[in-house]
Amino acid sequence: MTAVFFGSIEAMILLTGVLVGVSAALLGTFLVLRGTAMLTDAISHSIVLGIVVVWLLTGQTSGPAQVLGAAATGVVTVLLSEALARSRLVKMDAAIGLVFPAMFAAGVLLIGLNARNVHVDVDSVLLGEIGFVWLHTVTVGGVAVPVAVATLGVVGVVNLAFVLAFWKELKLATFDPGLAAALGFAPGLLHYGVLTLTSVTAVAAFDAVGAVLFIAFVVVPPATAFLLTRRLWLMAVLAMALAAAAAAAGYALAVVWDVSIGGMMAVMTGVWFALALLLAPGRGLMAQALRARGELRDHDCRVLVAHLHTHQGRPEMAEENTLQALIEHLRWPEPRARAAILRAHERGLVERRDGLLSLRPKGLAEADAIFGRLR
Amino acid sequence: MSVLADLLASHIVRTVLAGAALLGAIAGMLGAFAVLRRQSLLGDALAHAALPGVCLGFLIAGGRDLGSILAGAFLAGALAALAMMLITSRTRLKTDAALGIVLSVFFAAGVVLLTVAQARGGAGSLGLATFLFGQAAAILRSDLWIMGGIGLAALALVLAFWKEFKLVSFDPDYARALGLPVALLEATLTVMVAMAIVVGLQLVGVVLMVALLIAPAAAARQWTASLGGMVVLSAAIGAASGAAGALVSASTRGLATGPLVVLIATAAVLVSLMVAPGRGLLWQALAARRARARIGEGRVLAAMQGLARAHGDTGYATEGGMLATALGGAPTPARLAALERRGLIRAVVHPPETTPHWELTAAGHAEAAALADPAGRAERSP
Amino acid sequence: MDDHSLHEPGHALHVEDLTVSYGGGPVLWDIDLDIPPGVMCAIVGPNGAGKSTLIKAALGLVRPVAGHVRFFGRPVTRMRGRIGYVPQRHSVDWDFPASARDVVEMGLYRSLGWFRRPGAAARARALAALAEVGMQDYADRQIAQLSGGQQQRVFIARALVQDAPILILDEPMAGVDAATEEVIVALLKRLRDAGRTVIVVHHDLTTVRSYFDWLVMLNVRIVAQGPVARVYTPENLRATYGRQLAMIAAAPDDALP
Repeated sequence: MTAVFFGSIEAMILLTGVLVGVSAALLGTFLVLRGTAMLTDAISHSIVLGIVVVWLLTGQTSGPAQVLGAAATGVVTVLLSEALARSRLVKMDAAIGLVFPAMFAAGVLLIGLNARNVHVDVDSVLLGEIGFVWLHTVTVGGVAVPVAVATLGVVGVVNLAFVLAFWKELKLATFDPGLAAALGFAPGLLHYGVLTLTSVTAVAAFDAVGAVLFIAFVVVPPATAFLLTRRLWLMAVLAMALAAAAAAAGYALAVVWDVSIGGMMAVMTGVWFALALLLAPGRGLMAQALRARGELRDHDCRVLVAHLHTHQGRPEMAEENTLQALIEHLRWPEPRARAAILRAHERGLVERRDGLLSLRPKGLAEADAIFGRLR
Repeated sequence: MSVLADLLASHIVRTVLAGAALLGAIAGMLGAFAVLRRQSLLGDALAHAALPGVCLGFLIAGGRDLGSILAGAFLAGALAALAMMLITSRTRLKTDAALGIVLSVFFAAGVVLLTVAQARGGAGSLGLATFLFGQAAAILRSDLWIMGGIGLAALALVLAFWKEFKLVSFDPDYARALGLPVALLEATLTVMVAMAIVVGLQLVGVVLMVALLIAPAAAARQWTASLGGMVVLSAAIGAASGAAGALVSASTRGLATGPLVVLIATAAVLVSLMVAPGRGLLWQALAARRARARIGEGRVLAAMQGLARAHGDTGYATEGGMLATALGGAPTPARLAALERRGLIRAVVHPPETTPHWELTAAGHAEAAALADPAGRAERSP
Repeated sequence: MDDHSLHEPGHALHVEDLTVSYGGGPVLWDIDLDIPPGVMCAIVGPNGAGKSTLIKAALGLVRPVAGHVRFFGRPVTRMRGRIGYVPQRHSVDWDFPASARDVVEMGLYRSLGWFRRPGAAARARALAALAEVGMQDYADRQIAQLSGGQQQRVFIARALVQDAPILILDEPMAGVDAATEEVIVALLKRLRDAGRTVIVVHHDLTTVRSYFDWLVMLNVRIVAQGPVARVYTPENLRATYGRQLAMIAAAPDDALP
């Protein structure tokens, strides 16, 4: 049964995508909350240098040497960027933008210099080719499993173990680094831990989706989850689920349209994000628009009640408590005045007779509440 | 020198050189504003986000037509910038997340379109490598004209709206209160960065374009205290890096222009950070050392004056060992020599003792007194 | 409804019905405010009371949900350049490559109009404004090298150079040394005596009575407004600051120097 599963090309491609997404999204949750999402971008590019150097030194393009190299490169990138920013001569965003392009450029030059020896397909380094993951397999427990799947599986387990083991500390360090430091955790160290694991996951994911698409899985599903919840554990779970869903949907669409699988998977993370941006209850754009309109109407309603109350039962009532007076004295355009009256009417606060507006008992109570608050 | 002449004899080399220098100048000038407005990584995001536009331009034009590619890249960049503004203004997500989202999703869309273009065929030179690293050698004479045109347009804008750009970069709230159309000005600046990116994409590629926007500006900032100086210097450093990169690449095999330009520009930054007068790290270290030396010298003077006062003798000759005891450690010969050079102490002989002795000069007494009581408070006390 | 006839021209600042809300709840609610011309007015309130938001909404930097603002009867769009705004010092990155004079000249950018450079006349005016705040010797100093108090004075000089009838300052004395505070207060009083209206978001209750003659007490809503002597009472303080008042002496009538 398992042999069939692991032998199915489609299943393996899908599994690879899901594993990448889940690992990346889990770590990305903390990066997005910490505000360091762009470090992922930096690491994903500078890691090219690490890969090339390790390859030059050991001749290997995968395996433990590359994993170590990736971890080291990631840490070096962040260390250098932070050191540069600490000099106060350069701001943090500029520092990041100085370090990783230089490392990337160095990596590209090294590739170019050694291109005679081995044909290094740059496209695959940066794009990955998930369609070919089934080509290289390793035997695990008697079953031939694609190397990428095995590696990503191990990496995923390590990531999960790290997050679970340090859950409380990560939570504190992400939301309140000052307190974490005061309590004796090392928020900086934890931060570096997350970044190191991200680098390692990046290298593991390269074969499949390549550098820049990896960034999509790290940043976009957690950002989407952020729009939907503020509870950390729920955000992490949602991020992983969204990433997996993006991988599945992306694969399906890529097959139908015959386009890049990795690219489509990443695009789907963006689609989920756009949907959440629009439709998220409470925080989405539509909810915001509705709320703003509601608030404006409620406010106008209150102003109307206050205005009517001021003039109710007084000689000028005939003039003041009319639609015309609203338009002239409150300087409301007619549609707005009408909308306010309608709203007040809906809520049973006012009634209109012979063109004259007056407050009903409920409206009087509301007016008392308004003016009472001013005392 | 003849090597240089040989290189320059080639038409291609001249073209690439001109293109790289021009690009460096444009990126340097516009990058200055991006860096000052903390939008360094915006260039990164826009550069990646341009890919779908490039592919669309290619697809629509049916081939490599610089005009449509540039237009496509520009439109994609504009969309990306708008998306970023939307995300940061309407959600609680921060800038870094917005940049990351836009960068990766747009780029992914570009990758998808790329496979569409490749499937259509005829996309020979539109490999991802070209987009990522640029293909300097493929630059045409006609491309130079377009680049030059864009550069001139950018320069004209910068000159025309210089003071407005300056204020908007420094204090947008005040600018708004003053009645300047801040949104429009900020959009123009962003659009100009997009223009620079679009120009540089095919020469040095995406990732390296980022560096070209940031590095010359960061380097220039260390040397000058005026915005005008920074912009001019940034353009100059950018142009020089571009030219140098092109030349080195032309004279060697296996070294691509784009990465070389980036490494040279980065080197310029590192040198500037070290050496720039006033701000540079070396200068800071030297200044710190000088300050420490002054403090040390002051302690010697104070100790000597204290001893002189205790003995009621301004010409008191302090013995080396006593000075060491008073200070808790012997002052280095260099320190004593420096004090002597400054005319604050002089070596004297104090027979029958044979160990070295020092006495304060009149200037030394004055200096010691001033150090002890800089505000002259002693004169005011009864 | 934008109407260009003067509305309440007798007041330097007239605010009606102003409400600002950021989605989480109102930051300013139903603000009705009238500040007469020629006073030195303090706006006080606890943190988060909306003081800065009130200023920004009045200046059109923040969009209100409801209400309108008039300066001498005109909407702010017709008073551009005639209001000298001094934002909070920390709203700006002082590592910008500019000298003190450069920053002050920025106050003239609007009056210079498009495409014109600051010439000799502008430079002279900038220098004069710097002299008024005692910073003429620092004209060519890089702003990154200035102390907090000096930076604040440069900001004020920038507003001065506009020669505006109204000055609005957001916490100008926060985090400055005593000497600078004295200089600033003396300058503001001079301006008030010369007939200008000075409105200050002020953070220090202990100096309200000695510096200002008009007071606005704000905590999302207007608690009280009017001449300082009349408004600065224990009841109003309690209503504005609530429990935070514990730190302030019970009887604010205690003589202040």
